[in-house]
Amino acid sequence: MRYKVLTVDDSKTVRIIVKKAFKGYDCEIIEAANGVEGLAAASKETPDLILLDITMPVMDGVEMLTKLKSDPALKGIPVIMLTAEGGRDNVLKIAKIGVRDYIVKPFKEEVLVEKCGRIIDLKPLTEGPQKAKSIFDPATLLVVEDKPAIIQQIQEGLKHTPWKIHGVNTTGEGIDFCSKNTPDLIIISLSLPEEAAFTLFRLIRQNVKTKYTPIFALVVKTEAAAQAQAQQVGFSYIITKPIEISEMESKIAKAMNLDTSQRYFAVDGDVFVMRLPENCSQSVVGEVTNYLKPKVAGAVDSGIVKAVIDLHELKSLNMAVIKLLIQAMQTCKDLALQFTLVGNPQIVSECKGFEDTRTWTFHDSIADAKASFSRSAQPAGAA
Amino acid sequence: MPTIDQISESVFRETINRAVQDVFKTMLGKTASLADSTGALANADGSPWAHPVHISGQHVVGTVGFIGDISGLIYLYLEDKFANDVASHMLGMTLAEIDEAGHEVVNDAVGELTNMTVGTFKNQLADKGFPCKLTIPSILRGSNFSIEPVSSATRRIYRFQVGEHHIVADLLMKSGE
Repeated sequence: MRYKVLTVDDSKTVRIIVKKAFKGYDCEIIEAANGVEGLAAASKETPDLILLDITMPVMDGVEMLTKLKSDPALKGIPVIMLTAEGGRDNVLKIAKIGVRDYIVKPFKEEVLVEKCGRIIDLKPLTEGPQKAKSIFDPATLLVVEDKPAIIQQIQEGLKHTPWKIHGVNTTGEGIDFCSKNTPDLIIISLSLPEEAAFTLFRLIRQNVKTKYTPIFALVVKTEAAAQAQAQQVGFSYIITKPIEISEMESKIAKAMNLDTSQRYFAVDGDVFVMRLPENCSQSVVGEVTNYLKPKVAGAVDSGIVKAVIDLHELKSLNMAVIKLLIQAMQTCKDLALQFTLVGNPQIVSECKGFEDTRTWTFHDSIADAKASFSRSAQPAGAA
Repeated sequence: MPTIDQISESVFRETINRAVQDVFKTMLGKTASLADSTGALANADGSPWAHPVHISGQHVVGTVGFIGDISGLIYLYLEDKFANDVASHMLGMTLAEIDEAGHEVVNDAVGELTNMTVGTFKNQLADKGFPCKLTIPSILRGSNFSIEPVSSATRRIYRFQVGEHHIVADLLMKSGE
């Protein structure tokens, strides 16, 4: 939902500053230069929030507020006074007419957005190219953990990704980081002293900039009570220690809604290639399975008729991987795609040991596999 | 009712100093430091003012009044070039865009800066027991002009340094009727 904010101020400068402050958020700013224009705009547009100055020509803010509150159709619109008129008595008098908040000029744009964000559910706009879209785009991850060794372990484990992992030891440093940056994902250790992790979680959720940032909890596997509490307050995911880095990486990608398909699927010349990584964990199998049909269909739709299933990096087989491979081959058959397999000696040997896979034939490299298509028009994978 | 005479010179100096510093820091991220002041320049005899501001060159001057238990006007003098910088910063526009937009945009920005400064000044006085309300800002542009207040007013002039620029706050006040 796109919120409407009405700014009523005789100063064009203030109206521009308000527009600038909300530029990164999904909301529309409507402008009025005095109380009369403000009332007309409020009736016409029914804004979700009004920012109202006091000292204005034609009709001042106090008169507009009084009229607004006496109109049954408009009185429910929340109003924040944004004015240089302060002073305790003045503020109390206006508060009695019914305002939701009061901001005295001079003001910082962040304070304005933060206070408005308490009244309307402001959502940051998707930031286009800066926002990570695929697994190969840079992103900023914040890890709040009082044990430096864990931060180091995460940084080391994810160093092959384009993500920048920023580690801090205390909640204070975490808040400070979030006030200057907007991380794409935050990982908080539940072992921080005195339930600090839950306090930090609430503060991050209250901040308009980080309201929708995925937050992971980091906790020892056996600490069931802390895990239950984290689930209850709304942590996006729980990572247990000892950390399984590849699983964490998959969950991070999923939470950030990243397209990871390029890791497993590519087009090489006129051949569609499906590649399985060295460690094919359950979560990797899940990811590949989700992408499989649309990716193969997309390749066929673009005119490709040949596919290579590349297992040369794969360390070992398990039932989940075998099922995935059978599904991949069936999908190719269903779409009349010629396909062949590439494997390493270990995989070739393991395939001989299973009834379902013992007849599979492999090539040593992609180049060999591609060359085989020109020698045979028949599917080569399943003999 | 309290009168203006009950406010000491140091309170005026501290109040305007805090107002200017607060506004420049919050809105422009700049530090303003009080360079010198000419306090309590009475003009009881009504004689014409020799211009005490000592400024030259093109200036943009914002003025906002306040009316109540104390009434007065504060003039904020900004060098023409600095006024453009202020507008550029407040509006998030480049100096070229400001030039293209013209005087109206700069005037509005300086008016709002003055409004905030005078508001912060008078809100502090209101909390000290001198309630008053703001008036709508207006702008003067020019060079070598002097302002001659009415005879019952007191005048105080404070000069601030903001980076390589200076600004002048000219306070004209009298007790409310």
